[in-house]
Amino acid sequence: MESIREYLVEQIFIWKLLAAARYPLYLTALAMPLAVVFGLVLAAMRRAKTRFLSWPAVFYVEVVRGTPLLVQIFLVYFALPKLGHLLFNSDILTIGPFPCGVLCLAGNYAAYESEILRAGLDAVDKGQREAALSLGMSERQAFGYVILPQAFRIVIPPIVNDMVAMLKDTCLVSAIGVRELLKTAENIGREKANLSEMYMAASILYMLLSLGCYFLGKWVEKKLKAKGGQELPAGKFEH
Amino acid sequence: MSAEQPPRPPTAKLPAEGGAAPLMEVEGLKKSYGPKVVLRGVDMQVTRGEVVTILGPNGCGKSTFLRCLNLLEQYQDGVVKLKGEVVSRGRPEDRKATEEEQAAAQALRLRVGMVFQRFNLFPHMTVLENVMVGPKKVLLRSHSEAYDVAERMLSKVGLWEKHPCDPLTLSGGQQQRVAIARALAMNPDVMLFDEATSALDPVMTRDVFGVVRELAAEGMTMILVTHDMDFARDISDRTVFMEEGVVAAVGTPEYIFDQRPVPGIQKFLQRG
Ligand SMILES: Nc1ncnc2c1ncn2[C@@H]1O[C@H](COP(=O)(O)OP(=O)(O)OP(=O)(O)O)[C@@H](O)[C@H]1O
Ligand SMILES: [Mg+2]
Repeated sequence: MESIREYLVEQIFIWKLLAAARYPLYLTALAMPLAVVFGLVLAAMRRAKTRFLSWPAVFYVEVVRGTPLLVQIFLVYFALPKLGHLLFNSDILTIGPFPCGVLCLAGNYAAYESEILRAGLDAVDKGQREAALSLGMSERQAFGYVILPQAFRIVIPPIVNDMVAMLKDTCLVSAIGVRELLKTAENIGREKANLSEMYMAASILYMLLSLGCYFLGKWVEKKLKAKGGQELPAGKFEH
Repeated sequence: MSAEQPPRPPTAKLPAEGGAAPLMEVEGLKKSYGPKVVLRGVDMQVTRGEVVTILGPNGCGKSTFLRCLNLLEQYQDGVVKLKGEVVSRGRPEDRKATEEEQAAAQALRLRVGMVFQRFNLFPHMTVLENVMVGPKKVLLRSHSEAYDVAERMLSKVGLWEKHPCDPLTLSGGQQQRVAIARALAMNPDVMLFDEATSALDPVMTRDVFGVVRELAAEGMTMILVTHDMDFARDISDRTVFMEEGVVAAVGTPEYIFDQRPVPGIQKFLQRG
């Protein structure tokens, strides 16, 4: 009796690890929509005719794409509070590890999504806007009712690709102490002295999550293809 | 221009009522892309219910002219009137449109229907939605009103049975007829056709021309750019021959095709 109980207590770590598998999903579910929205803003800025809008967008995209995500995470987590103290003499720019992680993932992926969205908007035939305008639509209506929905179909597959990539990149926020899947696996591994097994277990979980996302993406893609979507090669890991 | 051209309605004073009142008047329309001058001052009057075809060699500015009429292109000089009221004016290339001008352009496009060479149906909507979207989103009609209009217009072009289809599953001729229905659903004063059948084979062309003929019989005012001489001759009340950005000759189709009042027409018709 006593030994069964001991055995079960011993096995609790497995449940802890499995439960921690929700963190990559949480982080992605929060950061990816933000990245798409921010990416759309960047894409719109970049398409704008005034340089006051397009240049900052270009600068942001190039800087973000030119530096490693891990460095960006450290920079935001450690340097931003310092800047807050320097400028405002307060903790106003100090954010917790989890929100910081979401922000960094979103900010980083926004740069890539903006390029995807820009290409998607450009891929919509110019005649579509003209047809919409000739019906008496305003530019805004033409964009909202005609151009954006078509661009959206084009960009779904590459964005889903990036979503799978982000799922794996969420492990980077463990570096600032977010207790997500990788961190949990490490903690258990240290405690039980079975670190390599735990890394292996975490890998399998990441892979299962990625596969799940991948098939979800394929399914969405197929649904869209059936409705006449186009293909657009792009995305963070297809450059 | 020839001296024995048939009389054109005077531009100065016009009768307030009656068939001769111009529906659309274009005066001195000039358009250039940077240094490249495309339209050098085009004048044209179209009366209500009239079908005008525009002919001319490639690159003479026919498409540009139609696009200026509904301000898909801004022109630099001249004026366009609808029912005697100024609806657009030339504007220097370096000046951006004011809010008012943008609103005016939108109001103008509402009254001018356009049919494109490449149909430009909205591929993410069904055939029915393509025709309903204008009445619903622009004219702010209720769903059932918009549905009724769409049903009438799609029936008119003989494609009501296709209303639930995706437009891209239709043949080119069918797509063009849906595009015509979409423009008609806005109840425009005048319809512009830019080589509406150039992308179509002869059978599909015949179907689209059938619809255009029907519209002409119903009294729709239309300006058509076409490379189909037989059709132009058959459908036109008046034919305009354009050359190098100006109207070189205008008259009845017989006058243009048979008398060939300017040497350009001679060359143009022989080549065709
Ligand atoms: N966006 C543009 N920028 C610069 N030049 C242009 C542009 N669009 C048209 N042009 C030029 O304007 C001239 C007139 O073009 P347009 O398309 O109106 O001719 P068209 O009479 O319709 O010819 P086609 O019979 O081939 O359709 C051409 O020389 C063309 O090169
Ligand atoms: Mg043309």
